[in-house]
Amino acid sequence: MAEAIQKKLKVEVEKYAQMQKEVSKSMSARQKLETQLTENNIVKEELDLLDCSNTVYKLIGPVLVKQDLDEAKATVAKRLEYINGEIQRYETLLKDMEKKSEQHREVLSSLQQEFQKAQGLAVGKV
Amino acid sequence: MAEKGQVDIEHLGGVTRLREEHEKVVKDCESRIQHWKKVSGDYEALNDRLKTLPDQLSYDIMVPFGPLAFMPGKLVHTNEVTVLLGDNWFAKCSAKQAQKIVDHRMKYVKNELDGLSKTIKNFEARVGFAKNLETISASKGDYVDIREEVGNNDSVVTKGKQRMAHKPNSKPKQDVFFDFKEEDEENEEESRDSGSRKCIMTEEELWARLDELEKLEELQDEQDKLSDNGDMNGEDTSSSSSEEEKDADAATPVNGLSLKPGWSALPSSTAPLRQDRKEEDDFEEEEEANCLPTIYFSHTVEPKKVRINTGKNTTLKFSERKEQKEHSKRKKKNGHSNGHAHHELHKITTPADLYRLFVDVKNGEPIPRKSILKSRSRENSVCSDTSESSAADFEERRIMGRSFSHDEATHSDTSDGITEEDSPTAVLLQPPSRFEAFSGTVIEKDPMPSAVPHLTISPPALPTILERKQEEVAPDVAPPQQAPKRVSKFKAARLQQK
Repeated sequence: MAEAIQKKLKVEVEKYAQMQKEVSKSMSARQKLETQLTENNIVKEELDLLDCSNTVYKLIGPVLVKQDLDEAKATVAKRLEYINGEIQRYETLLKDMEKKSEQHREVLSSLQQEFQKAQGLAVGKV
Repeated sequence: MAEKGQVDIEHLGGVTRLREEHEKVVKDCESRIQHWKKVSGDYEALNDRLKTLPDQLSYDIMVPFGPLAFMPGKLVHTNEVTVLLGDNWFAKCSAKQAQKIVDHRMKYVKNELDGLSKTIKNFEARVGFAKNLETISASKGDYVDIREEVGNNDSVVTKGKQRMAHKPNSKPKQDVFFDFKEEDEENEEESRDSGSRKCIMTEEELWARLDELEKLEELQDEQDKLSDNGDMNGEDTSSSSSEEEKDADAATPVNGLSLKPGWSALPSSTAPLRQDRKEEDDFEEEEEANCLPTIYFSHTVEPKKVRINTGKNTTLKFSERKEQKEHSKRKKKNGHSNGHAHHELHKITTPADLYRLFVDVKNGEPIPRKSILKSRSRENSVCSDTSESSAADFEERRIMGRSFSHDEATHSDTSDGITEEDSPTAVLLQPPSRFEAFSGTVIEKDPMPSAVPHLTISPPALPTILERKQEEVAPDVAPPQQAPKRVSKFKAARLQQK
């Protein structure tokens, strides 16, 4: 009886560990997005500060490519929006994963309790 | 003391952990602050460089050539600076514009630094507090925490009354006990054979039961006053609460019981509505009896304490009425069948209905009881028991007699005779198949004053005497006044009887 519970417990623990990994992955992705967000904000501000005299370049690979100021501004804005959308998506994902992990946690705790009971019984018998 | 020591140790553990966590945060903050300080230093240096760069048109420098070699070279276009804006975006600007950008960034860095320093201050304070707590809980420091144990006292002093639970499951025991008692009684009754006769409760028992129920009602009324208004469950009127409980169990029999308090409380102001409601309930739930109900009249019993006044002076005694209700209750218990179709049949409005409904069972066959209204010798009958005699009394009886005759199949014409006061002629009396107290016709003649005084004569044997009188008088009066062809109905009846 106790052994069966132990096995179950192991399985559950593994599942839970997976869940946690996934959660952490999505967390890190989200953090990246956040940094990109701040960066793009800064870029936007800087571009607003610049006037037409300066040329703007974009680094594509090893090449600096000339860009129009207005084009650059538009591109940056679009990127900002895209980043925002991505962040939203990741947030929802995270929530779902959190819920799942909660469930797993509960299952785990219940199993643990059972295991302890069984162990206690076994000890009592012996 | 050992317990307290344990508590302290636990506390100590918790506090230590808290302190450690705080310190972690503080360290983290410190590292970040270091980072930002470095950044800010770099920017400062950059600023300086930008300031001095446009001083000269070109500079001779040693240009790094790979990771290990340098090459002598010149720095030209000293005013043109390509600035990284972020996210792989570059902008070519002059030195001064670059400076502006640098200043911008410096501001940002400064903000970060300020935030971090604030947090570190906070956490340092918390760490200090945790340290203090540690020392206190370990009872090492100068300050001692005053702790008071809160135990579950039996002797809890509460101001005012103890509140009563208002949920249906947690009603005061007294009521529950009462209801259980009632339920038990009803269950016992139900468990008996449905067709069996129930022994009549003596009047004393009935009165005792009434008193019990009255007390119960009063209790419930008190509770209702005390209880909150918001709680719906137990807080309807006392009748409904008792009804609810009773309805939950055995619905029908209880109504009969609950009707009794309604009866007894009839004089009180609150009763009528409830009574009506319960009466309706009573009638609505009446079902056809599977077996034949029997009725027992305790006619020989002495006059009762209370006489129910149902509008007109009724001849029915209180006990009779109760027995009626008991019977209706019993009939309800006997089973469910189509209720509404027989609704009207079971409705008792006159004594005649009683005789229609309740029949004796002799040798397994229903034999309709003889109507007491019809018996010639009514000296010992209930109706004769009434001490007072009044005009209304007799009127009632006459009307009852008439209505009874309505129900009888054999009678038809004579029932209108009561109201005929003007006609001097006598209506032909149909030969009664049974004995009737009053045929339904009154022959009012001027020289017949006996029709009036009979109203004041005491009821015992009144109708019979009257009948005889009328019979005697009418034939006497009739022949001289009327043509010899027509025979008074009384005479005809007498002739027929002979």
